[in-house]
Parts: sequence; C-alpha cells; structure tokens
Amino acid sequence: MTTTKALHTEEFLVNMGPHHPSTHGVCRFLLTMDGEVVVKAVPYIGYLHRALEKICENRTYPQCLPILDRFEYCTSMSCEYAFCLATEKLAGIQAPERAEYLRVIMLELNRIASHLIWFGTTSLDLGAITPFLYGFREREDILDLFEMTCGQRLTYNYIRIGGVSRDVPPEFIPKAKEFLDKFPAKIEDYVKLLNENPIWMIRNQNVGILPREMALSYGVSGPVLRASGIKFDIRKDDPYSIYDRFDFNIPTGKVGDCYDRYLLRIEEMRQSSRIVRQALEQLPSGEIKTKVSANFKPPKGEVYSRIENSRGEMGIYIQSPGDSKKPLRVKMRGGSYNHLQVMPEIVKGGKIADLVAVMASMDIIMPEVDR
Amino acid sequence: MKKLIDAIKNLALGLLTTGKHLGRRAITIQYPTEKWQMPERSRGIVTLLSDKETGKLNCTTCLLCERSCPTAAIKIVYDKDEKGKRILKDFIVDHGLCCFCGLCQEACNFAAIKLAPKYEFSTFEKEDLVWHIAKLQEIGRDVPYEKIERKKPEARPAVAKPAPKPTIAANPAETPTGKAHVIESGKADAIPVSEKKPKIVDKVEPEGEK
Amino acid sequence: MEIAGIFKYLYEMLAKSGLPQLAVDLIALVASALIVFTFLAVTALFLVWWERKVSAHIQQRFGPMRTGWHGWLQTIVDMIKLIQKEDITPATADRPVFFWAPIIALTAAFTAYVVMPFGKGLIVSDLNIGILFIIAITTFTIISLLMAGWGSNNKYALLGGMRSAAQVVSYEVPMVVAVLSVVLFAGSMSMMDIVNSQAKIYQWYIFRLPFGPIAFMIYLIAGTAESNRTPFDLPEAEQELVAGFNVEYSGMKFAMFFFAEFVNLFTISAIAATLFLGGWQGPFLPSWMWFMIKTLFIVFVLMWFRWTYPRLRVDQLMEFSWKFLLPISFANLIIAGFMKYSRWFNW
Repeated sequence: MTTTKALHTEEFLVNMGPHHPSTHGVCRFLLTMDGEVVVKAVPYIGYLHRALEKICENRTYPQCLPILDRFEYCTSMSCEYAFCLATEKLAGIQAPERAEYLRVIMLELNRIASHLIWFGTTSLDLGAITPFLYGFREREDILDLFEMTCGQRLTYNYIRIGGVSRDVPPEFIPKAKEFLDKFPAKIEDYVKLLNENPIWMIRNQNVGILPREMALSYGVSGPVLRASGIKFDIRKDDPYSIYDRFDFNIPTGKVGDCYDRYLLRIEEMRQSSRIVRQALEQLPSGEIKTKVSANFKPPKGEVYSRIENSRGEMGIYIQSPGDSKKPLRVKMRGGSYNHLQVMPEIVKGGKIADLVAVMASMDIIMPEVDR
Repeated sequence: MKKLIDAIKNLALGLLTTGKHLGRRAITIQYPTEKWQMPERSRGIVTLLSDKETGKLNCTTCLLCERSCPTAAIKIVYDKDEKGKRILKDFIVDHGLCCFCGLCQEACNFAAIKLAPKYEFSTFEKEDLVWHIAKLQEIGRDVPYEKIERKKPEARPAVAKPAPKPTIAANPAETPTGKAHVIESGKADAIPVSEKKPKIVDKVEPEGEK
Repeated sequence: MEIAGIFKYLYEMLAKSGLPQLAVDLIALVASALIVFTFLAVTALFLVWWERKVSAHIQQRFGPMRTGWHGWLQTIVDMIKLIQKEDITPATADRPVFFWAPIIALTAAFTAYVVMPFGKGLIVSDLNIGILFIIAITTFTIISLLMAGWGSNNKYALLGGMRSAAQVVSYEVPMVVAVLSVVLFAGSMSMMDIVNSQAKIYQWYIFRLPFGPIAFMIYLIAGTAESNRTPFDLPEAEQELVAGFNVEYSGMKFAMFFFAEFVNLFTISAIAATLFLGGWQGPFLPSWMWFMIKTLFIVFVLMWFRWTYPRLRVDQLMEFSWKFLLPISFANLIIAGFMKYSRWFNW
C-alpha cells in the first residue's frame, strides 16, 4: 500500500554559536535547516565590539594610531595608513618620498601576510590542516621583517601622520629580497597542493556563487568583488599614495564562486610581491617623516578616504572640530561588514559544509565587522 | 577518463608536496630551552633608563610620556620644589593596561624610558603587573640605549606648516567629501556641513574622496 | 627459535601437565586473547605517537618532545590524564545505550584480530572463513556509532552518528567487492591461505595487473572511509557544525572511542598488508617483523593522506562511493574473474 501523502518533515533551528572553530572570530549564525540544506541563515554580530570608534573620540590623533591598529589586526598597517591618509588630507600634509615608498612596502607585505592567514584558515576549515602551517611559516618571515623595523609582530604602530616612525634597519632590504626570492616557490607549493586537487575543486567550484548585480548592490569590495567579474581596485581606479608608479595586474574572476576567490587571492599574493620588489628597487633616500607639531590640530572639516585592503575597501571618515587635538568622530568602514551581509543570500540552498567554505573564502574577520 | 588520470596525478602531486617536507628539519624551536634572539627594536616591557656612569635615572619628569600614552598606563607622581621644578617621586606603569605601542619612548627627549625586548613577565595576580620606579629602573639597567645629548635648541629649519584654520564665514564650497555625506546639524554640538574646503598647502590633490 | 614454536611448546607443556583438555584449551585461549590485547594496546599507543610525529614533521615542526625521548611517553601521559577526567553522563541520556556504545566499539575492533596472521604460524585461530569473519566483525562498529549517537540524547550527536553509520555502510560495499577479487584469486577465505598464495614477490596481489593495483586503491580508499579519517572524516570534524557522535563522551569512554579508532586503523592496514602485500612473507627478517613493517608502511600512507587532503562533503562522499567506487570495483571483480579462469596471469 503506497501513501500519497508526502513524508512530514520539519525545519529545525541550529545555532552555529559564537564559539566555533570556523567562524573566523566570534560570529553567531542562526541557521534554519531542512535536513542538510540551509534554508535561512541569520548572522548575529557584536561579540567582538570594542567601541574603538568611541575610544578614538577621546584620544589625540597620534594616540589614535594604536587604536586603529586593532581595528583589523590582520592588516594593521592598512588600518593605520587609512587613518593617516585621511588625517593628512584633512591637514594638508605630504609625506616625504622615502616614507611613501616604505609605506607601500609595508602595506603590500601586510597584504601578503593577511592573504597567508586567509589561505591557512580556508584550508583548515575545509579539512586540509597542513597548508595552514605552511602559510604561517611564510608569514613568520614577513613578521620578522616587521619586527626588525618597528618592534612588533601584529599591532605595529609604525605608520604615522606625516610618514613612518622609524627608518628600516640596514638588514631589512637584503632580508626582504631574500624573502621575495623564495616566496614564489612556496606559492607554487601551495598551488601544487591544492589548486588542481580534485577534492579541493569539488568543494569549492560552484559553491557560494555571488552574482554580479548582488555584489554591486550589497557594496562588496576587494577580492570578493573582483571574483564576481567586476574589475575594480582602488589602487588603480582611485589611486592613493604612489601606486601609480608600480606595474601590477589586477586579477579578475569569472564565476564568482569560492574557487575563483581562492585563485584570485593566490594571484594577488604574486602581484603584491611584484610591487614590493619594484618598491625596494626604487626606494629613494631621504627623510621618513614630515614634522608634525606635538599639538597637532587639523583644521575643521570632514574627510573620507579609502584604501584597498586585503579584505576590500577600508575607509576612514574623520570629522574634526578644528581647534582640538582630538577628532570629533572617527568612523571605520571595513569590507567584511558588507561581505557578512551578503552571506545569507549566497548560502541559501547549500549545506552547512558550504557555509563554512563560503565564509572562509570570503575572508570575513569579525574585528572588522564589529570594531 | 582523462579527468580521472588528471585527478590521480594531482592527488599524487599533493602527496609529493607534503612528502618532501618529511625530510626537512623542523623550523620551530623548543621554547624554554631555546629562545629566539629578539631584534633590538622589539617592543617589550617598559623600562626606565639610567645613566651608565652615575646610575641616576635620566628622567626629568617632563610628563610627556604620561600624556602620550593612549591607555593611561603611565602614572607619574611628583613633588614641586621651591623653584617650581618637578621632582620625581614615583613612576608607575601598569603593564596590564599598556598596549606596547611605544608612543612613550618616542615622546621622551631624554632617553629615559624605553621598551626593552623582554617579554617574559607573566604573573599570577593582576596587581603584580603594576610596577613602580624601583623595579622599572632595575630591569632597565641592562638595556642598551643611545644617550641623548642635550644641546641648546638650535634654529629649526622651516617646515611645511599645516593649513591655517579656515574661517567659518567663507563661501560654502563643496567639501572634499562630496555629496554622499550629510551630517545632521540639528544637534547642539554637530558641525555644520557647509564648511570651506580645508586649504591644502602642498600638491596633494583630494583625489579618492568621493 | 621462532615465536610460533615457543607458543607451540608452551601449549604442549600445558597439555602434558595433566589438566582436563577443556581447562587447557580455556587457558590457552585466554592467554592468547591477553597477548593479542596487550599487543594491540601497545600498538595503539605507538600509533597515536606516530601520528603526532608524522603530522608534525610534515608540518615542519617537532611534535611531542618532552615526555621521554622525542615524546614517546606522550600517549601514556595522555591516557593518565583522560583517566583522571570526570566521566560525565548527560542527565537525559539513555544510560545503557550510552554506556555500552564505546565498549562495543572496542570489542568489535579487537575481535577482528582473532584471524589476523601476525607471522608464520602466529594466528589465534585460522578460521576457514577468515576474511569474511573480519568483514562481519567490523560492521559491529556501525552499531556502536548509532548507539553513541542515540544514547547521547543530543540532536547533533544523533545526526553525526547517523552520518557516520551511513558513511561506513556505504564504503563497506566497495571494500568487500575489492576483497572479493583477491579471494577469487586465492581460492580461499582463510587468511593463512591467502598469505601462502603470495609466496614470491611477483605473486603479491598488488602486482598482479590489472586487477591488483585497482583493488588495492579501492580497498585503501574504502578503508580510510571506514576508519573515519580525512578525506572522509566529516562526521568527526570540528569545523563542521555537527560535531560527531562522540561529542557527549568524556574521560575514559572517550578514550575508548579514540582507542577503537586507532585499532581500526591498524586493522585496515594489516588486512591491506595481508591481502595485497604478501602478509608476513619476506626474506632474512623474522616473519612478524615483515608483517609489522608492511602494516606500518600502510599506516604511514594513510596518515600521509590525512595530512595532505581536504575533506569531502557528506553528499559528495556518498556520491563517490556509490557512483564511482562501486562500479569500478564490480568491473574489477569481473576482470579478476576473467584472469583467473582464463589462466592468464595466473601463475
């Protein structure tokens, strides 16, 4: 006897809690599941909120820099630089040539370091544990370079208003060149390990496809945007600093799935090492910091400046009351916020394992979302 | 069929890539018995520097470091003598608050405070992280530093001054931030949007601010 | 003097001592069970350490170094730690089911060694259905997985347990068909006979093209899935939401599951060595040493897989088994049949 009534199924709620190995920080997802398929995903944020923007309102401009370090601590140099760019625009300060080159070197090295974290955590989330350690092995070399220059490995407090705080020591340039010489071979290692690996491809291809229109309407930026087919990079389309002096390519994806984002970031690491190499060759001598008064008070006004961070567009908006050493309002804009917003749309209909893969490939980190 | 051959070939390539690491020496070290040599600029704990010959602290209680600390980790206790000059009584650094940014060592003009490359200072109680002047001086004794000779202040070279403060009465030209930003000016302490564009002294064009 | 000879001598001494035959047999049986149990316990401890060292050196780090020379005591120390842990049973758990699941897992893991040929003459009981017995016993683990998932009274554990069970069941089929092709050639299911039919190195089943290597690969892949290792370790991956059937277990019960997993790993490798690599056959060295070398080599290969590959999603896992491995293993069986009965490559 056959029944014509369909089998009664129920959707159930599953909490992918704040404590979870693959939420890249503390993010909570409330998933409505139909069996193995995710029907709805609602992110809950705010677990890592540290009120950085409010803190900055009570700190002088130079004192804001250690705070900005902690905004997105995987790419501290970019955060400091975005703030300095905004302040310098507001006050009309121009950093000297050598400082600009040093800044570019640090920014791009930081981009490589951040992409290495992404590479490690993405493979870790998908089960391949070894690339995590390989990525961090390369990152150690970059962090050693940073440590010999400014003294810290994660929150640098190196880029200052008007330049950089200290000149690189003499052993920096040979060590940086040594790193750049052996880095392409390491990237080849990663490529061999994962790129054409059938398991990797089957986990990442056609998973988490972000259509072009959705990407534009949600305001995503950075590698996620470029993977969806839109060739937009602030370093080329809205140049800041001295990026127009370097020769580098902007990789673009076609489909917008996780595999495209993965290939794109691997290629970005290669392009960044190209930029660093060119900057090291062109590095002029000179001063490293324009003198800025100890009681630095930028004029009244507001400014928004943006840079191309490894996770998208990082923007700093500063409102200055004019005769005060402290800003009135500092707003930090990070790319991960928009990426987290678009996530529930693109994981609908997939499985939990796909949600993990998508979150890893979009390179969302919670400090940028929660500030 | 070709896909199958490719797949097997790539799987084998992956195995080779991890396999060749088996022959290599590990790059980590066994921590308590072996330690990395920290670079000399490494920012660790706050120390107070003393003069090599006399052993006295270099600190002149100028309070610049206390003012530059973003987390208020430094607290200086001082007396004023009959001429009004400050005499240092106690120098307290709370390493639980310190974020090791190094702004204090940059602010100091007397080579009196330095972040030494030491990082092993964990304690069991939070209160033990608050260090006073004696301990800070003690741990600073073996920290190398370059003595700053206090010369007479010479004439400073002309530097590019920051823009003079714009006056409010100027015509409300478009701000560099453009149309996208509207500030509610109804609140008491809000800044009105239509301000004159901040005067740029040098050749920095306000590009990228859309 | 060979080890098999020592055991035979001891048995004869016991038989001559005047006890009734039943008592003699009983003592012999209990003694061999204890010996096998001790051997497996030591091997599992060794394998845990070995896994940590292999993974560490693949990742260019050291692994355990402090507890003993290069950390060889690490597992023992970990066991002591686990024994000291509080044995938590959830209040709403189904107590008998919760209690018996790890015990069944461990029992199933150990019972398979009744027919394992450790060396020349070193087999507890040479049943003439040897390999079939092993396959039947390893399916007991499925029951223990389901019991663990159900008994925990936790929807995640239940889902994890069911997924695990589904995975093990799906991969049993290609594994059995691959083993069947070897049995076809050997003409017998008895483990001793299978080993004896691989007397020369060119007779090893892995070298008997074209069915040998294919059967070996299928067996190895299915074996990795059986023992829940990457790339098939979705049920116990931490990065997945459903953390697996052993999420509610702590202390000694967890240790038992962990133990059972490593014993399973050794079982899979031992069977692979016996069926495909010639078992304990080999020149110069004693036979048990060859058995250990070959088994540990396969264990090493499985560990190498684990630390290189990412993991498959659950539906991809199932698809792989049913749509890919199974047809290939059937085709392989047919080829093996042709080869055997056409006396072609049949030396």
